[in-house]
Amino acid sequence: MRLVIDERRCKGCNLCTMVCPYRIFKPGTKPNARGIVVPELDRPERCANCRLQALYGRTLCGMCQMICPDQAIRWEEEKPGEATKVAIEF
Amino acid sequence: MQGNTACAEGALAAGCRFFGGYPITPSTEVAEHMAAKLPKTGGVFIQMEDEIAGIAAVIGASWTGMRAMTATSGPGFSLMMENIGFAVMTETPCVLVNIQRGGPSTGQPTMSAQGDMFQCRFGSHGDYSIIALSPSSVQEMYELTIKSFDLADRFRVPVFLMADEIIGHMRERIEIPPSVPRVERKPLARGVLPFHPDEDLVPGFPQFGMGYGVHVTGLTHDERGYPCTTSPSLHEELVKRLVAKIESARHEIADYRVTNPDAEVVFITYGSPARSVEQVIHDNPSDRVGHLRFRVVWPFPEKTLWEFPNARVFLVPEQNLGQMAREIERHTSVPVISLPKLGGALHTPEELKRAMEAWR
Amino acid sequence: MTYADWLREDRLPHIYCAGCGNGTVINCTLNALDRMGWKKEETIFVSGIGCSSRAPGYIVTDSLHTTHGRALAFATGIKMANPALHVVVFTGDGDLAAIGGNHFIHACRRNIDLTVVCMNNQIYGMTGGQGSPTTPRGALSTTTPYGSQEPAFDLCELASAAGANFVSRWTSYHVKELTRAVHTGFETPGFSFIEALVQCPTNYGRRNKFRNVMDQIEYFKTHGILLQKVKRLREEGKPIPDDAIVLGDFVQRNRAAMGVRR
Repeated sequence: MRLVIDERRCKGCNLCTMVCPYRIFKPGTKPNARGIVVPELDRPERCANCRLQALYGRTLCGMCQMICPDQAIRWEEEKPGEATKVAIEF
Repeated sequence: MQGNTACAEGALAAGCRFFGGYPITPSTEVAEHMAAKLPKTGGVFIQMEDEIAGIAAVIGASWTGMRAMTATSGPGFSLMMENIGFAVMTETPCVLVNIQRGGPSTGQPTMSAQGDMFQCRFGSHGDYSIIALSPSSVQEMYELTIKSFDLADRFRVPVFLMADEIIGHMRERIEIPPSVPRVERKPLARGVLPFHPDEDLVPGFPQFGMGYGVHVTGLTHDERGYPCTTSPSLHEELVKRLVAKIESARHEIADYRVTNPDAEVVFITYGSPARSVEQVIHDNPSDRVGHLRFRVVWPFPEKTLWEFPNARVFLVPEQNLGQMAREIERHTSVPVISLPKLGGALHTPEELKRAMEAWR
Repeated sequence: MTYADWLREDRLPHIYCAGCGNGTVINCTLNALDRMGWKKEETIFVSGIGCSSRAPGYIVTDSLHTTHGRALAFATGIKMANPALHVVVFTGDGDLAAIGGNHFIHACRRNIDLTVVCMNNQIYGMTGGQGSPTTPRGALSTTTPYGSQEPAFDLCELASAAGANFVSRWTSYHVKELTRAVHTGFETPGFSFIEALVQCPTNYGRRNKFRNVMDQIEYFKTHGILLQKVKRLREEGKPIPDDAIVLGDFVQRNRAAMGVRR
């Protein structure tokens, strides 16, 4: 699974940067075409949901999605054959 | 049977199964009768915390597909005004019975008046059009209540039964037909946008709980029902349609009674003053007194005035300071004389006769 | 199904300001709804006027966006006319406690089977930041430029006293707890009232020393205090901070209810 911020919906409030236990979301720096500074993702493959959602069959943490007031955060199925990076933390 | 009871019986016969209201003199008997009868027919009676909540509950119930009504009088009617505008904007069928009493303010709770005729037409803010009926006997209380429900469902508009205290509290013998034909609400065809009007300018009704997924809002909305408050053309189109769906059908909605169409002196009435005029006609058969009695007052059917080609004068006795007289004046070059009477007493036949003599 | 399936995708993004907590409350409500497994055609959303009340416009079910303060009266009509429908009311603090206060206490008294989610942003957001009945004492707004002089309403105490079957308060920071509370509210027959304190960065935060959205969320996080802890502190005779936001389930009981699905 892949973590995605929907840039058409995000209004740049940065609440996701506050709640993520992995600190995956970082406040953005550049405004996008709509003039909104969308948060950037720092190694999103660390997200527990990305790794384990399929295995457990349910959303595991989901704090960012729940608190996002603009319904802009979701997890997408990756297309088969797409190269994925896996970060392993010790 | 009492007028108010006849009204409640008419509502039950018409298939009304929801009553939400608040007690107010002189309309309480309607609520009392509904409270006694509705639970036995599988309906719901709920006494709300005020009239605002009463009409709100009625509108809510109407969206679940039920025929719903409320009954009130002057002060309660004033409280309902905002939600009446909401019912107009959202095209919610509902019936409001207003047993009129003397105003302004608390006024004369137990006395008769017809002072709310303009309020029912223009009371809420913005431009709109509604249907108002006015009974002048207990039999008509029954018949016109049924007719109100049919008109409300057909045109998707709040319909007012503008009775007065005299009719509401009068007791007369009435005839109740064995069965009552019923005009059903036109359901929304699948695949059609919820506020897309048909040729008669009335959209199909997307009942709640049927999977239409409709958004109903009092904001200016497009045909999908979604709010769109900044487009001048959309708002103009919507408001013009809400008015046109009633006004363009006004001669079809029109319901009136004509006596002596060749008369030169013509009384125009609605509600209880009609009864005094009938007495005058009865007492003076040789005088050929004309009488035009409206059963539907709004939308005003101006063509009915043409029923009296020889008319030299229209005399309009009302229990207000000439509200409908002003409307009639707008549509005719024949002199219109208002005969106002306030305070709750009815015009006596002698008074009307005297007014008539002046125009011989 | 997930909560995203309940959204009218063509209507998003919604009209709320950046960082407005109302969107979070919609998420929590829809998540709880999703857990209940109710059908779309059996669920009705009702709302009044205000920021919070625009929420049903973004949800796919039948929805009724009514006049100011009257949402509960409309919802009463719908629920009594057809008890098979699940009726959820979104409302705000001004809508519910000011203009709709009478309808609120009477809906609690009747204990009608509704679930009411009140997005309390402690201000009138849509009209530009006027003081509301829940604006805390001393808080600045456009109509209280020298600080609010009026004591604020405690909506949960009000609902408990008026007879609601389930009363709970959380904030837009406590998303998991809020979701659980709304879920419990859906399950409880009778009137369920869930107050969700939400941040209003544009009209409340900006005037009350919350320079950005996170500051106000941080305030909810640090000042939130569980009801159990309040009770314990009271028993121990220790002081409870004045600015504490008491969180938790205030009431869960089984009073006779109206309009329950037969």
